[in-house]
Amino acid sequence: MTRAEMDSFKVPLFFSRSNTSTEANRTGNWCFVRPSYRDRTAPCSEACPCGTDIPRVETLASKGLYAEAWQTILMENPLPATCGRVCFHPCEKACNRGELDEAISVNALERFISEAAQAAGAGAASGAAAAIVRGKASGKKVAVIGSGPAGLSAAYFLARLGHGCEIFESADEAGGLLRWGIPEYRLPGPILAREIKALEDLGVKIRCGEGRDLSWPFKDKGYAAVVVACGQARAMGLGVPGEELAKDGLEFLRETRRDARAAGGAAAAGGASSGGKVAVIGGGNSAIDVARTLIRLGMKPLIVYRRRREDMPAFAHEIERALAEGVELMELKAPLSLARDAKGIRLSLQEMKSGEPGPDGRRRVEAVKGATSEVVVAAVYAAIGAEAEAPWETAMKAAGALALARSRLLPGPLALAFTGDLATKDKSVSDAIASGKEAALALDVLFREGAGAVEARLAACRIGAGPSLSMELYLGGERSKRDGKVVRVDDLNTAYFPRTARMVPHIARPAVAPGSFVEAEPGFDAAEALAEAGRCMSCATCNDCDNCRTFCPEVAVKVLDDGRDINADYCKGCGVCVEECPRGAMVMGAEETKR
Amino acid sequence: MKKVLEGSQAVAHAVQLARTKVISAYPITQTHIVEELAKFCADGTLDGQFICVESEHSAMASVIGASSGGVRTFTASSSHGLALMHEMLHWASGARLPIVMAEVNRALGPGWNLWMDQTDSLAQRDTGWIQLYCEDGQEALDTTLEAFLLAEIVNLPVMVVLDAFFLSHTYEPIDLPEQEEVDRFLPPFSPKFMLDTEHPCGMHEMSQPPVYMEMRKSIQAAMETVPEVLAKVDADFASIFGRHYGPVEAIDCDDADVILVMAGTTASTCRELVRELRAKGEKVGLLKLRMFRPFPVAAIRESLAKAKKVAVVDRNNSAGAGGIFAQEIRSALCNCARRPEVYSYVAGLGGRDITTKTLEGIYRMTLEAAEPGLESRWVEIDEELARS
Repeated sequence: MTRAEMDSFKVPLFFSRSNTSTEANRTGNWCFVRPSYRDRTAPCSEACPCGTDIPRVETLASKGLYAEAWQTILMENPLPATCGRVCFHPCEKACNRGELDEAISVNALERFISEAAQAAGAGAASGAAAAIVRGKASGKKVAVIGSGPAGLSAAYFLARLGHGCEIFESADEAGGLLRWGIPEYRLPGPILAREIKALEDLGVKIRCGEGRDLSWPFKDKGYAAVVVACGQARAMGLGVPGEELAKDGLEFLRETRRDARAAGGAAAAGGASSGGKVAVIGGGNSAIDVARTLIRLGMKPLIVYRRRREDMPAFAHEIERALAEGVELMELKAPLSLARDAKGIRLSLQEMKSGEPGPDGRRRVEAVKGATSEVVVAAVYAAIGAEAEAPWETAMKAAGALALARSRLLPGPLALAFTGDLATKDKSVSDAIASGKEAALALDVLFREGAGAVEARLAACRIGAGPSLSMELYLGGERSKRDGKVVRVDDLNTAYFPRTARMVPHIARPAVAPGSFVEAEPGFDAAEALAEAGRCMSCATCNDCDNCRTFCPEVAVKVLDDGRDINADYCKGCGVCVEECPRGAMVMGAEETKR
Repeated sequence: MKKVLEGSQAVAHAVQLARTKVISAYPITQTHIVEELAKFCADGTLDGQFICVESEHSAMASVIGASSGGVRTFTASSSHGLALMHEMLHWASGARLPIVMAEVNRALGPGWNLWMDQTDSLAQRDTGWIQLYCEDGQEALDTTLEAFLLAEIVNLPVMVVLDAFFLSHTYEPIDLPEQEEVDRFLPPFSPKFMLDTEHPCGMHEMSQPPVYMEMRKSIQAAMETVPEVLAKVDADFASIFGRHYGPVEAIDCDDADVILVMAGTTASTCRELVRELRAKGEKVGLLKLRMFRPFPVAAIRESLAKAKKVAVVDRNNSAGAGGIFAQEIRSALCNCARRPEVYSYVAGLGGRDITTKTLEGIYRMTLEAAEPGLESRWVEIDEELARS
């Protein structure tokens, strides 16, 4: 039938219709409570020692905006590619998604984002440079002793705040523990070198082979402050007869990396002959690193630990990997003595038993009387911890220091800031970076406003209730508009999140081959990264999902260039938008509406 | 192209051929139609949006919204689902939206029952929807296509009604029209009004006594144009597809003493009976009701006026008043100068079979009865059980 034929029927069609806009009906005047956009704080970012804006990072990554995601990390952390490999990711433990199904794989995503941003090339690099560009020169010069994670971090933030920065490093290459203490299979050298290079591009001068201590005339050379980031380089001894027979685990790791560099590949280190059984004493990450390195050198390592596996300070996933690779673990055994033997070293062991929990929550152990045993091994490595060289400790304990969360600040004509393992409770790369950042911000406040302002100004930059500080908050960026309240899973509308399993890289882990220090953990491919980033619920952070706009019965949600706004003329205060916000980024009651 | 299809599938194919843009439905039992359409939308053979909803009320609300936005819409339901839509059915017609719905006649519970019964659709007779009842799968497909054109000319919603199982679940060879033919028959939907962000307007707002009654009269007047419009739609359809239906179909009614009146698949059974009885010389006819709203009074009068007796077979019952078709037939005839007696029979409720034997029984009872009586007569019923 043609349109004309259809229209030829005269069919009455009278119904109520008005060309007067319903805009005349200002439903906003029914309102007595008003919704507003109120980004709050996600638990992951509170848990991150660096205070990374993780929901923002994952939102950008889920849109494939890797360069932008990388810059967002760089705002708070100079070493994303490094942390994407070695961070113990407390964010994942705090992840709200963990309450629904499985936590977001934040750590693996950080690694992917860093590599993808690099792959994106010049655009990403120049973008990053714009985002982290140095502030106006302050005329202040700061020396940093040590180029480990704390020193690099302090220099990075000081440089961005406009202060001249020089790092003094006693070794012939920068990186500290990252360069010498973490094995190649966990953190490939070129990755670290790339991130250190970016720091140098920012104007930080790293003077390798120029170790300094506090007796050096910093003040006379025009420095206003010294950041002490020397780490803990002195290995602790076993304290048992024959302890001199044990090799220093850290020194072994250092030598292995040095040999690998010299030979262009891995070579046996530490003098142990291939194939033999060796003991590693200790339960921390260094013990695991030593054992996994030994396995890659063709040895059969046995970790001897005085407590139980669950009491080991090493990260659970590291222990799991070590055992999977063939490392043996002997629990509840403490070394009694070491003695040279025709077959190697005879290690006498005391059997221990688990007792009551101590003040740190771990169970104390006590010796089981008369229960001893022996193992004969080719070599023994001690990895029971390290401490700072005594003079640093003494200097740090000077009177008048401000004890900050992860550093100590000693104001004066030459201000001193003590950072990293020297000053933090938790000895981790991320805590060291956080410590360096804290010191940098504290020095900036000190220079600009004096010592009295330091604590209050830092408190204002905290993420949530934890000690982590945000550079973006310090600079008064967008993020500073967020409420510090941490949003928990109960604050979310979880109906919007279908349960999905956490992505696992489909690439198999490379087999452990003697002599090969190839990176042990495979990363995500692009599809896996997109899917995993898409699992992030973006807790407490508006990601423009527009559920509020879809559900608003009064079409009162306006789209602005920088977010959404409630049109007060029409919002009748029904609260549907707040109820339907999947991520707890809206609240009822306040008058202010715009995000 | 001939294809062996279920009645439900036939309707779904019609909806696909009509290039329907928005389909929303809740998958109640009896709606293979919806399953089929969801599949078409998913596999891309229908370029339309399928909106999943949590209830039939929302399904109707969704198509009301979509139709107001100026696109061709369809939904399907049955029984309790249709009952749940009731409020929105009024809205669709009051808003003058040309929505097409397939409604599968199914009994209402309790007692819980999934089978054929017309009471569900007839209970919606005052909602302002055009109702067309189908006899077989081909008619279901054809009627669905016609329904879109009819609805879009008169701006009223159309309910295409199918018997549960007897039609919805029965496979028959069906002539599936070519897309090009359907496009020739049914032009793209060109709404007479729609929500348009370029030309904002408010629709269906408060209507006070000085205008409300005129709006209702407008709907009534639109309904009154339907017979004429359907005649043209039927003629156009016949010219392209060679099949013609009309608001009613009269079989051997001209010289019949007794005419059996019914709607739906029972008409097929009755065609068989009429053939047998005519072969024996009995003067019997069949009037198949296809259109129930608007009620085709003129066509009914023309077909029935000359008979002595009319037997209306209702697969429905309005408790306290009897078979619903019978009531309407009586009122259609009551002001005629010469009119037949109208006998009312209730049969085949809740899926009970109506066979040629059942219908012959009704015919004989009617033939032999002295007068119609006050109440509907319930046939093939266990009186003892019914009284207990």
